Amino acid sequence: MVERTLANLPVRALFRPKDAFEALAGSDPSPANVLLRYSVWLLILPPLFSWIGASIFGWRLGATEPLYLSQLTLVRISVGYFLALLFGFVSTALISQWMAKTYGASESLGRHFAMVTIVGSPLALASVAHLVPDVFFNVLVLIPTMIWSMYLLYSGIAVALETVPERGMLMASSLVGWLLVAAVSLLGLSMGLWVMGIGPLLGV
Amino acid sequence: MSNDNNAQYHDDVVLRLIQFSIFWAIVAMAAGVYLSAELIWPTIDFSQPWLSFGRLRPLHTNGIIFGFGVSALMATAFYSVQRTCHVPLFGHRLAWFCCYGWQLVVLLGGLSLLAGWTSSKEYAELEWPFDIAIAVLWISFGVVFFGTLAIRKIRPIYISNWFYGALIIVIAMLHIVNNLALPVTLDKSYSLYAGAQDAVVQWWYGHNAVGFLLTGGFLGMVYYFLPKQANRPIWSYRLSIVSFWAFTYTYIWAGPHHLHYSAIPEWVQSLGMVMSIILLAPSWATMINGIMTVSGAWQKLRTDPALKFIVLALAFYGLATFEGPMMAIRSVNVVSHFTDWTIGHVHSGALGWNAMITYGTFYFLIPRMAGRELYSTRLANIHFWLALAGTMLYIMAMWAAGVSQGLLWLSIDETGELGFSFTDIMSSMAPYYGLRLIAGLIFLTGTILMAWNLYMTMRGNKPVRVTPPAVDPMYEVKA
Repeated sequence: MVERTLANLPVRALFRPKDAFEALAGSDPSPANVLLRYSVWLLILPPLFSWIGASIFGWRLGATEPLYLSQLTLVRISVGYFLALLFGFVSTALISQWMAKTYGASESLGRHFAMVTIVGSPLALASVAHLVPDVFFNVLVLIPTMIWSMYLLYSGIAVALETVPERGMLMASSLVGWLLVAAVSLLGLSMGLWVMGIGPLLGV
Repeated sequence: MSNDNNAQYHDDVVLRLIQFSIFWAIVAMAAGVYLSAELIWPTIDFSQPWLSFGRLRPLHTNGIIFGFGVSALMATAFYSVQRTCHVPLFGHRLAWFCCYGWQLVVLLGGLSLLAGWTSSKEYAELEWPFDIAIAVLWISFGVVFFGTLAIRKIRPIYISNWFYGALIIVIAMLHIVNNLALPVTLDKSYSLYAGAQDAVVQWWYGHNAVGFLLTGGFLGMVYYFLPKQANRPIWSYRLSIVSFWAFTYTYIWAGPHHLHYSAIPEWVQSLGMVMSIILLAPSWATMINGIMTVSGAWQKLRTDPALKFIVLALAFYGLATFEGPMMAIRSVNVVSHFTDWTIGHVHSGALGWNAMITYGTFYFLIPRMAGRELYSTRLANIHFWLALAGTMLYIMAMWAAGVSQGLLWLSIDETGELGFSFTDIMSSMAPYYGLRLIAGLIFLTGTILMAWNLYMTMRGNKPVRVTPPAVDPMYEVKA
């Protein structure tokens, strides 16, 4: 059962998300199994792509000159990016499990790990856009992907976690609130680190 | 101004204020859309001074805050204070004076801004004749509201009235103090304050206008209409009272975070920063209270499209009240200040929180006032998705633009020289402004759909007459 639930999770998340959510319903996968077999590999992709893209092409933030950073800085930023994503992933799954009782959903932690993996898969794979480190290009690719991920969240949560659709809608909205806060935290954290000297050379 | 025991609630004035609110929402949002287009194609002001960015921008902000926002707040305050006090409005003619007087000020004030009259204080641009008119109208609003509370038949003062009351008192104080000025001509006055003192007073006003009007006033709306819509009491009444006093005490200190790295004393900046961070606690207490209230009313989502707006408004309230304190931290503010991230932050609050909660409330109110079902639930659902998509696209575009600006403006090369020219950076922002324009159009389209839907719901009807119900003797005000 566990094998069928988790088999090709990212691929099914992309092409047959409904099937992936239905397979999750009624299952109780191990959180470590989900994390180590699937989630962590997806989480590695964005920092890896951004490191490669920034090393070769430099970040293009809109102005004419690309912004090149030293390899040491790039490695630091990429590791920080990975850790932030890992923290975001685990905390989202834990918060989702914490919310489950309120919304009458399954409290199986492994299922929450798998659901967050399915919802986040399109974003992780679309981060291939980081190979072309032009901010606007990334915005153009990632905004529609994010909308697709939100659609997956709203449409899949009630199925995967076995609650009624209306309570699923409320739970999805609460999670969107948390994810927006997490996203804006990442921005604030990045700026704090830049000002501390980790990142681009800023005149502050 | 006497009250008859068998009198009915005065809902005509509520309906008229809702109509004005929706009208100003469309006008001011359309101005915002035009402004966003001007940032991409600067020549579309056609060399007309009244169409220039500098004049149209205060029309947009004042139209949204005072036209759309205050009209909605007056409408909902008048509606809810009658029902929570079990009496009709005190001085209902004065309520009509507030209604039409306010619209006249917004209309003439808006035209004066287009004509170039300005005090140059952000969100307080209107010149002294309008400031006096606003003060008179605002005090009249207070007389109607507190007069109704004074003649109430139910002893406890419900939490929504605490928030509306704070809105009226604090905004009166802020408006009068910040606009103290020496008039020179009909269209020009000079502030009584100068230099850094002027800046501190201005942002004490500016941030608390956000706090007590765009946050506190709309929380009054949440605390009355959310439990009504969910058909269950607020999750924790005690938490609502605690968060009210924490909110009221803390917010008033937060203004100096608008003046980081400026000429004001550093300890004042630090105080503003610390109080802004503390503010997260009461803000999130309210958000949790709202979410827990609505989470028990999930069955209503099947039939009530309005509840979706309220759920989402609470999520964006959570975002905006987290983002604000974070941006008040000086090491974040040094990068984010003056960038489009600030514009994105304001709109996550204005679109995601203020507009959504107001739309949800209007979808609740109008069918009840008309005494019939909403004209089209499908249109309301389409509006919901348009509002969500518009808000998300707006804030994402501004996040990306803001972070890029902050980084590029401050980037220096090995010799310590600025790495990029300001004009190059700004000209490269056009694609993000294009996304913002699309986002604004999507949001405006949703608002127009709502206006049509509510018009068709109300068409040909007058507000249903409602008589105050009997008061439980346990809570009755004893003569």
